Amino acid sequence: MTVRIGWLYPDLMNIYGDRGNIVTLVQRCKWRGIPVEVDELGPGDRIHDGLHDIFFMGGGQDREQELVYLDLLELKGESLKRQIENGAAALVICGGYQLFGKFYRPFEGDELAGIEVFDAYTVAGRKRCIGNVVAHSALGGPSGTIVGFENHSGKTYLGEGCMPLGMVTTGYGNNAEDRTEGAVYLGAIGTYLHGSLLPKNPGVADFLIEKGLARQGGDVRLDPLDDTVELRAHDSAVARARKTH
Amino acid sequence: MRPSTRTALLLGKGIGNASRTLKFGGGSTLPGRVARRVNPAFVETMVKELPLGCALITGTNGKTTTATLLASILDNAGMTPVHNRTGANLMAGIASALIRESDMSGHLGAHIGLFEVDEAALPAAIADTSPRLVLVNNLFRDQLDRYGELDTLASKMKKSIAGLDPGAVVALNADDPLVSSIGSGLEQKVMYYGIDDESYASGIMQHAADSKHCAACGARLDYDYYLFGHLGRYNCPGCGASRPAAEVAATHLEMLGMDGTRCTLRFPGGSSELVIPLPGLYNVYNILAAMTAGLALGVEPDVIMPAVEEFTAAFGRVERVKTADREILMILAKNPAGFNEVIRTLTFEPGRKSVVLALNDNIADGRDVSWIWDVDFEMFRGKVTDVVCSGIRAWDMALRIKYSGIGELSLTTEPALEKALDLGLNAIGPGETLYVVPTYTAMLDLRRTMVSRGLVAPYWEGQ
Repeated sequence: MTVRIGWLYPDLMNIYGDRGNIVTLVQRCKWRGIPVEVDELGPGDRIHDGLHDIFFMGGGQDREQELVYLDLLELKGESLKRQIENGAAALVICGGYQLFGKFYRPFEGDELAGIEVFDAYTVAGRKRCIGNVVAHSALGGPSGTIVGFENHSGKTYLGEGCMPLGMVTTGYGNNAEDRTEGAVYLGAIGTYLHGSLLPKNPGVADFLIEKGLARQGGDVRLDPLDDTVELRAHDSAVARARKTH
Repeated sequence: MRPSTRTALLLGKGIGNASRTLKFGGGSTLPGRVARRVNPAFVETMVKELPLGCALITGTNGKTTTATLLASILDNAGMTPVHNRTGANLMAGIASALIRESDMSGHLGAHIGLFEVDEAALPAAIADTSPRLVLVNNLFRDQLDRYGELDTLASKMKKSIAGLDPGAVVALNADDPLVSSIGSGLEQKVMYYGIDDESYASGIMQHAADSKHCAACGARLDYDYYLFGHLGRYNCPGCGASRPAAEVAATHLEMLGMDGTRCTLRFPGGSSELVIPLPGLYNVYNILAAMTAGLALGVEPDVIMPAVEEFTAAFGRVERVKTADREILMILAKNPAGFNEVIRTLTFEPGRKSVVLALNDNIADGRDVSWIWDVDFEMFRGKVTDVVCSGIRAWDMALRIKYSGIGELSLTTEPALEKALDLGLNAIGPGETLYVVPTYTAMLDLRRTMVSRGLVAPYWEGQ
């Protein structure tokens, strides 16, 4: 059974090393002997029903985000939402996370509609939230925490229809107000965390792989891997986050 | 001189001397910080004493190398520069350089101010120094957590450059689309430089490439080829903008690995063959930048070329250090494009290598270490046998190397820099070279270790 990853806009939405998330998904499949394929889905490419197990979209600069916006909304949005309802996993970071919500409200002008995977919306903020983040999370592995680096000015608020990915203990998170960080809906995860997120948070990586395999009705018990380096990197980043805030 | 400027100067001088005497470091920013606190107009007042005005060098990569070479060009031309030379490139560093170069009455022995400034500090530096030359070498993603986004940065830079005196000259890298866009529509004279040779070009952009869209109209740029990151030969299918013709250009490139690059340098009215003793294409750009700046400031080519030939690396950036029976080659890498170029150059060298990678996340390095995932460490395959990961974020680096999937590699993690250096030296044999690639503050720490072992001189004892 092959895990098939759909990488949304790899050229346009890859700021802050987001590609490390793809590298991690691929390696953690390979190390377990699970065949894995990555398809790049750029502007103009359609989403084929049932083809992909995991979708990934990174963050981008404002201009790049404008360039993908219409394509995502008009060509891919509805179909992506359907894939997730049908069990596909997804990880979307920063700008990608905002676009997967219901809308983005800028300082001036009309609200920009999102593709509504998450019951969440984002409003433009005046203050840029920058720095290391630590959050308690059910996907946080042995330490029960996830760790990463945030850099955003949009403030995201969650509705009833999704869960936060974690609760912030260090850093700002979704909106610097309610301590939530990220969103989870079925197998889809949205988050502000770069770092890249998945290498230092192998629990989140394995959650996505498990969901992707479960979609195909596969055996979802993943073989354990030697995560010594992952967990050392996780722990040292947590310690550093607490020190630099 | 106003009393407050004099007070600022004297205080600054006292602190610089004390700092050197007490070995706190080179005194490269503290005197300036104090002087500017006493008199915020300190820099503005002091630079009026310079008969030939000021030149500013900015860009993400290569500021120090470019400015150091330009300083020796100006020296050769009899235009003695005052130069903030230890890479302390914020306003306090400029103020400190002015303090160091002036006597107690505020008289500067120098003729011209030559300042390397952070991209984000350019508007402030332009306002304070009213430069006759501004050079922008490149714009890469570097510490975005500090600068905000690249496009925003470029448009801020353009706005302040457009406000320069109409007689000023703007020197720009033609191969960087974001940088060259700064030149369009300017009232001031613009001089472009670039590489006119595609023999080391690639059809594929590196992962670290940053600027893919036209700054003027937003359309995706078409590239004939890439040279280094997003630098290359491009044109815009949207508005027709294209890579401008280069007045100063490198042609006939031949890369000689760590020994440098052989090329022909073409300038208005002539050309000259040269072996650049620094590795990597990025150093070709640094040489072109310094030449263009020299020409813009009125130095004759026959004065520029000998200075270029004599030039050796601005130290700390690429440094060859001899131990009793081994050699250390230390190369600063602070962002993905620079790191990829270091790796690419390293892999041109024959033999299998041992490497120490030192990753810090202090403010000067950038707090966010995500960028290491954009570096193509996969290029180590078959070329590197031992990697020691070190620095504050040693484990992040170790994780990056683990996920590069190079199985045959021996990987050690040792956050303490001095211990990591010794592990690296022990991994090689007598007569062999250890490659050390640190981020900025890790480089300073490693250098301190080498100073205490008597391997290199401290920064402030001249170059």
